[in-house]
Amino acid sequence: MQKCEDIRGRLTLYLDDELQGEERGMVEAHLADCESCAALFARELNFLNAIRKGAPFHVAPPELRAKVEKILSQERVVEESRPRRASRMSWLVAAAAVLLLLVLPLLVWRVYKQSNVPPVTASAFALKAADTHLRHMRGQLPLEMESGSPQQISSWFLNKVNFSVKLPNYQESSGQDKLYTLEGARLVNYQSDYAAYVAYRMKDRPISLVITSDSVARPYGGEEIQARGLTFHYNAIDGLKVLTWSDRGLTYALVSDLEERGQQSCIVCHEGTKDRDLLEPLKPH
Amino acid sequence: MMDGLVEIVEFGPAALEHIDALYGYALALTHNMTEAEDLVQDTYLRATSAAHRPDIDGNLKSWLFVIMRNAWLNEVRHKNSGPKFIDLDASGPQVDQLQETPHVVYLRKLEREQVQQAIESLPDAYREIIVLRDIEGFTYQEIATVLDCPAGTVMSRLGRARGKLRKLLSTWQTKSRAKVV
Repeated sequence: MQKCEDIRGRLTLYLDDELQGEERGMVEAHLADCESCAALFARELNFLNAIRKGAPFHVAPPELRAKVEKILSQERVVEESRPRRASRMSWLVAAAAVLLLLVLPLLVWRVYKQSNVPPVTASAFALKAADTHLRHMRGQLPLEMESGSPQQISSWFLNKVNFSVKLPNYQESSGQDKLYTLEGARLVNYQSDYAAYVAYRMKDRPISLVITSDSVARPYGGEEIQARGLTFHYNAIDGLKVLTWSDRGLTYALVSDLEERGQQSCIVCHEGTKDRDLLEPLKPH
Repeated sequence: MMDGLVEIVEFGPAALEHIDALYGYALALTHNMTEAEDLVQDTYLRATSAAHRPDIDGNLKSWLFVIMRNAWLNEVRHKNSGPKFIDLDASGPQVDQLQETPHVVYLRKLEREQVQQAIESLPDAYREIIVLRDIEGFTYQEIATVLDCPAGTVMSRLGRARGKLRKLLSTWQTKSRAKVV
């Protein structure tokens, strides 16, 4: 009797294929000998089969499948720029080794000559911001709230992100001609947390501002530019101009396809004339 | 194998294979077709932008499910209503006793739609675990990873969920028998 209780206690595990080795053998041996437990096992198996045989209960609608295929095909385009197939990799590694041997002396000379040039590698946050901008442009990241009011957008972020977002409203309060329009906002995933995404438009050209806490992301790499006590990092990524910087506990990334280093996009937070001392250093010289 | 080189399966086609399973799970979480479709898209977007992906032939499916569940919990959190999962593990009778009762259900006769309806009428946490184990075939350990809970919790919750499902189906079948009579 004790044996039956033991076995029944393990029957669910056995049915779910979670028992192995000796334990599994013990249950099987008992079921072969005990009619009562074997009958219970049969009923349980019938019950589970009745549930399982109907699956799948749902099939993704064709429109959804098409949308997902599009997402994955766009991802494949990016993947193709960094080959993953072993055959291509092997060939490339061999070619790169030969090339490296040929150009190594030249590289050493260049590194020696340019030891004071800052690294051009973009930070993960800058790359994320550029990617977010592109995804938004492609319609893959629709705005979660649409508003032209800086206050409304700042309030919307309240309790949604772990930092305070306060968008300036000098343009709205100054009465000057509007140089840009605020379109709305959404949350974007970054480092297992949410970053704030704000969309602007200037002369029909999109500008993206991505904000997170400086404990989550610190700007680095790219061309370093000092302005008003801040260090800006400029990168050209996929044809976009990306400026990243940290200030008062927050890290920002400003993305646009505007001219030069995209410094004109800074006016979404800074008044052009008053902030000339900020914008001027950002222009290429 | 081609020319002695290992053929590496691409991420896209491998991930697309799980779309029906993800859609079913999204429906189990949201109860809403539009929200489920959004959640599936969001899951694939997050998956494609993830820096570290699992092996294609390894735990890709459970990884996608983890992404979906986290995305859904975040979505619920943003609505400021909090996740609707009730702590079904802490209390309540253990209904999945493998005992012979007068209401034993012989489910072979059950219609597919009836089973589907019964699963959909389960409380959220029970429905979710039935989908993960009995529809999608995840192991206890994989379910524990998706739900971010101990494997012991998976076992007990699954037992309760099946017990509840058995009860529901039994009641419905008794009613339908009574109608026939």
